[in-house]
Amino acid sequence: MSERDLIAHLARFSGILRARGVRTSLSDEADAALALTLVDLSDRDEVRRALAVALKVLPRDRAVFRELFDRFWAGEEPADLPPDERRSPDRAAAARRLALRPGRARDEILERESERGDTPGYSPEAVLRGKPFEECSAADLAEMERLLTRLAWKLATRRSRRLVPTAGRGRVDPRRSFRKAVETDGELLRLARRARAVEEPRLVVLCDTSGSMEPHTRFLLSFLLSLKRVAPSTELFAFNTRLVRLTPWVSPGKLGPTPERLAAGVPDWSGGTRIGESLAEFVERYRDELVDHRTIVVIVSDGLDRGDTELLAGAMRAIRSRARKVIWLNPLVGDPRFEPTQRGMEAALPYVDVLAPAHNLESLERLIPMVAA
Amino acid sequence: MREEIRALQESMEREGYIAEPAIATALFLAIEMRKPLLIEGDAGVGKTEIAKVLARLLSTELIRLQCYEGLDVSTALYEWDYPKQMLRVRMAEPEGSSPAQIEEVIYSRGYLLERPLLRAITRREGPPVLLVDEIDRADDGFEAFLLEVLSDFQVTIPELGTLRAEHVPYVLLTSNRSREIGDALRRRCLYLYIEHPSFEKEVRIIRARVPEAGERLSEQIARFLQALRGRRLLKAPGVAETIDWARALVRLHADRLEPELIEQTLGVLLKDRHDLSGVRGVEVASLLEQAAAAS
Repeated sequence: MSERDLIAHLARFSGILRARGVRTSLSDEADAALALTLVDLSDRDEVRRALAVALKVLPRDRAVFRELFDRFWAGEEPADLPPDERRSPDRAAAARRLALRPGRARDEILERESERGDTPGYSPEAVLRGKPFEECSAADLAEMERLLTRLAWKLATRRSRRLVPTAGRGRVDPRRSFRKAVETDGELLRLARRARAVEEPRLVVLCDTSGSMEPHTRFLLSFLLSLKRVAPSTELFAFNTRLVRLTPWVSPGKLGPTPERLAAGVPDWSGGTRIGESLAEFVERYRDELVDHRTIVVIVSDGLDRGDTELLAGAMRAIRSRARKVIWLNPLVGDPRFEPTQRGMEAALPYVDVLAPAHNLESLERLIPMVAA
Repeated sequence: MREEIRALQESMEREGYIAEPAIATALFLAIEMRKPLLIEGDAGVGKTEIAKVLARLLSTELIRLQCYEGLDVSTALYEWDYPKQMLRVRMAEPEGSSPAQIEEVIYSRGYLLERPLLRAITRREGPPVLLVDEIDRADDGFEAFLLEVLSDFQVTIPELGTLRAEHVPYVLLTSNRSREIGDALRRRCLYLYIEHPSFEKEVRIIRARVPEAGERLSEQIARFLQALRGRRLLKAPGVAETIDWARALVRLHADRLEPELIEQTLGVLLKDRHDLSGVRGVEVASLLEQAAAAS
């Protein structure tokens, strides 16, 4: 195989990976091209291993990578490749174009998975069902912004262990003190100091969008979107019978994210709930990366679950063991007659630091001191 | 398989590191392409060990930078030796040297404390192995700084000017994935994810590291560990735990696994209260059965 052939093959394979959601960049392709000159090209396993190293395939993408590599090596044309990828002679350009439209590639993947029918309680008709939202009133939104700014500010005042130079308070910093003293012939006239830095809040929010949550979703989604605006590192997930990472959908772009666009991204909107399965999926795929001792995990759900409660308890335990705090927002808690007797809620409760209502603005306001503590 | 990769794999094994082809290939590419290698995987799968073995193989120095939250430039890169500088300034007073002369003296290499990153860049005797351990524990700001150092292999010290690398070091970074490493840094590196070892590999590791354990016990231990990792655990035991356990069992003069013995020593393998209480009792027996059935 000539070098040009090799590079063409590589660009094509990268395109196939990208179409299936495995992110690769041009610099990765360059690394891979060089790596391939260093290995035995007749040894399939060695080529696969070298590509995984050079293309930086993350553990969550390994299965997909392996499957696609095996098919590519066998010379099989992936039938489910988006048309752009199959037609265009310039694969790299096509892949780049496709990367600009992640929504479309995603839709196809969702459709394929639904055809396999391996997800319980998941009907193809429900896929990507649009869900109309009424507009929030301007007064509501303004009030919410004000509240969330306060919430974010409270969060942002947590101090980290990192020390930054300050004027007149904190621990003495010998490095800078002596540095200054050198200017005055070695006389220590003023001590420089450092104090603990202010830390950026880290939030992961998992929001239940099942049917029983319907009356609250419009309000809660606006809440989540505002949250994302004031604390940009916030990670958003929606779940009903399955888990969907919303963060890529609400990242800063030309179009402002709206509840409608979010609804379009979540399959089976307003369907049933499988909290346990969804949270277990979160633990499996995202916990290690997104949750650490600084992260506050917020779960928004009514706890009405028709799934496996043991699975739910296990997932909650796994999240709790790693997070700084777990907060469960439950719209039903607002009802004075509420008792956490739903099976799901009961299973999750031992691993929840704060169970709080979330049915109106007032209840969210009460949340501020709990999150900041 | 390419001859050089096989040779690397074999020499790693001679140094006591059982490397599967994936590890040897990644290390070979990192050496040949002169790119940093980012190694991820659960605690105890042998990430740090790779750097130690590499340094031994190349008979060079291993320079280790342990990351932690709050790690800053003065700990990672360099710091002026202030007390020494102060003394020199005091001594210079009666000599009547001009301030410019004093400055020239106290801002020279002799007054510079080299921290790991600077040491890795300025080592004259040949390229060292630089291990940036647990990069996931440092904050994002440090990650950005590291990216810069790894791109240019040069460091600018305001008082001294720019120091260029004498030899580009072999760089290995490890992460336990307690947070996601930034895309920019990951793209700068080659990437290796190490999984828990297979049964065969684990037996070979035990045989290599705890030869006193004998073949039968080693196999039983490895089978039990395979079965144990199949459970939902908060902290799955790594190779480090396997080796500790094998040593503990040898100390107890065990020649085969028995439920009671496992119960007594389970704390060596499982270090989470929930995991321990979950596996104790009925589970141990069923895991042992499972392990026996697999043999």
